[in-house]
Amino acid sequence: MAIVVGVDVGSLCTKTVILDGDGGILSYDIMRSGHYYKGAADESIESALKSAGLKKSDVSYILGTGYGRGAVAEADAEVTEITCHARGAARLFPEVHTVIDIGGQDSKVIGIGDNGRVINFVMNDKCAAGTGRFLEVMALALSVDIGEMGDLFFASKEKVEVSSMCTVFAESEVISLFAQGHKKADIAAGIAHAIARRIVGMVGQVGLREKVVMSGGVAKNSGVVRAIEERIETRLLVPREPQIVGALGAAIIASERMSATIG
Amino acid sequence: MERVLSKITEVTSDPYAYVTGLKERTGKKVIGCFPMYVPEEIVHAADLIPVVIWRGNESVTWGHAHVPPYDCGITRSFVDDAVRGKLNFMDGMVFHVRQCLQVGEFPLIIERNVKPAYQKVLYLPPIYEGEAVRSFLLDDLESFKTSLEDFTGKKISDDSLKKSIEIYNENRSLLERVYEIRREKPGILRAREVMQTVWSSMLMLKEDHNELLKELIKDMEGKTVESKGERVKVIPVGCLCQTLQFDILDMIEDLGMIITDDDLYVGSRYFANKANLNGSPIEALADRYLTKTPLCPTKGVWDIHWGDEAIKKMRDNNAKGIISIRVKYCPPHTCYYPDFKSKMVEEGVPEVMIEMEHEIMSLEGIKTRLQSFAETIGGV
Repeated sequence: MAIVVGVDVGSLCTKTVILDGDGGILSYDIMRSGHYYKGAADESIESALKSAGLKKSDVSYILGTGYGRGAVAEADAEVTEITCHARGAARLFPEVHTVIDIGGQDSKVIGIGDNGRVINFVMNDKCAAGTGRFLEVMALALSVDIGEMGDLFFASKEKVEVSSMCTVFAESEVISLFAQGHKKADIAAGIAHAIARRIVGMVGQVGLREKVVMSGGVAKNSGVVRAIEERIETRLLVPREPQIVGALGAAIIASERMSATIG
Repeated sequence: MERVLSKITEVTSDPYAYVTGLKERTGKKVIGCFPMYVPEEIVHAADLIPVVIWRGNESVTWGHAHVPPYDCGITRSFVDDAVRGKLNFMDGMVFHVRQCLQVGEFPLIIERNVKPAYQKVLYLPPIYEGEAVRSFLLDDLESFKTSLEDFTGKKISDDSLKKSIEIYNENRSLLERVYEIRREKPGILRAREVMQTVWSSMLMLKEDHNELLKELIKDMEGKTVESKGERVKVIPVGCLCQTLQFDILDMIEDLGMIITDDDLYVGSRYFANKANLNGSPIEALADRYLTKTPLCPTKGVWDIHWGDEAIKKMRDNNAKGIISIRVKYCPPHTCYYPDFKSKMVEEGVPEVMIEMEHEIMSLEGIKTRLQSFAETIGGV
């Protein structure tokens, strides 16, 4: 039984998925990346192995992906997170043709062919606004737990415009909105809509083709998911654990490479 | 080959020092020509040294007082160099103001702040078709020639202009040969070395560069290249007016792709098409300009699409994809790009766009995009 591991070292979180020889998920792990990516990758692999009751010596192939893909010391190969998110999303939802991935510091929209392969993609380049880090800063400014941001969206009664998409300026804008007497829920909804506006522009560049999957940590924010759905007028398919889609894709590619080697 | 490459690296790693030294060595005056379309041959025939203006590698400082931060890299870098006195070795400058709005700012800024002994503005037509266009262009080139004659106090004879055109044509043929060998022996030169080879042509005396190229070609012809396994061929397109950061070229090749040709200004665009010397030399230069392909977003013939030209180049090279290099704040390229992209989609050509800036470069983000592109066209 060839055990393979996919490790997605993101700017905020490191995710690991372990697959068995039949492609079934044995275990997964999600932890903060911190500032030492190599250590985070090692620790996350170790934790996922422990959950699956496996040892390192049981693993046949490790594939690294994500922003810190080069830091996975024991990786046999590395593949970008764009390819991995496509492959992971296609495994979970075979009918997918578009993936919206919003991670810690970047966002991507990926067009996928019928075979789960990437056709085209766009990613934000310079500014991390509209990403997981942006949401963290906004949650701090609102003095709420980041997990509450989604629920606040649905409690909103009044439309508030958060115009700026620069994280630093948006923080100042949120403070101003507070000063004007706006409610937390309305500001949280404004923030979700601001992220959605940014994503919709990227979707336009790639071309919207159903079904659409949303992956990455921000997919856990139901407010942002709803705001994007409203703008693209399409239902988003969100995996039960959207953060591990890239690591799952990495593990799938690792599995394919193992099969090719075994022949 | 090492000797030639080392010389080329010396020239391009510090063009300021090289051109200053060249001026001292020859006793000739230096004329800075804005990139893309200024006919350097006329400057050469006036017994002056034409050099193509380049983008420096320093952050813009005083230049920001003269040009807005949303001007492109070469615009800001050139103005910065000029107002800081780094270009004082240039005795004159020639601008083609119909190239883009940003170049249109130069004459006044340079006149007020630098005051070179010679400055000339050209109005080369943006559309190539029609007798009126040709006639206008001939007048513009004649005026350029006359202004140089006034500056030097010497007439430029037809014979001397023809001789200069011959030297430039030879340079174009030699650079074509370098590209041809690269196509025959992919990987014989790194993409950065090819770009440096073309860039050095813009800085050196063409006669000297021709000798250097002959030596390089001889070395390349005699060299065999070991295969580095299956590498997917790609064609970089764009980067108008300026040199691309070498790091990006290295990254493309280090990610397993290989560049066998390009459609870059500091690349194949610089030596595309020779002037046909059958009649008057000024007419030869005008006709070269009017029949010059590939086109750019500011010039051309309506029914020729830049996208078609790029796709043809890709297919001729048996390449698998196109990497568009767009200079940030280059309005002509930015405006043309949606049309270019549509053509790629229409023809099913894999294409990725990389935006290049003068100062800030998020190389990790660029790496992810390029690596994903390599994976996409490589079937991962």
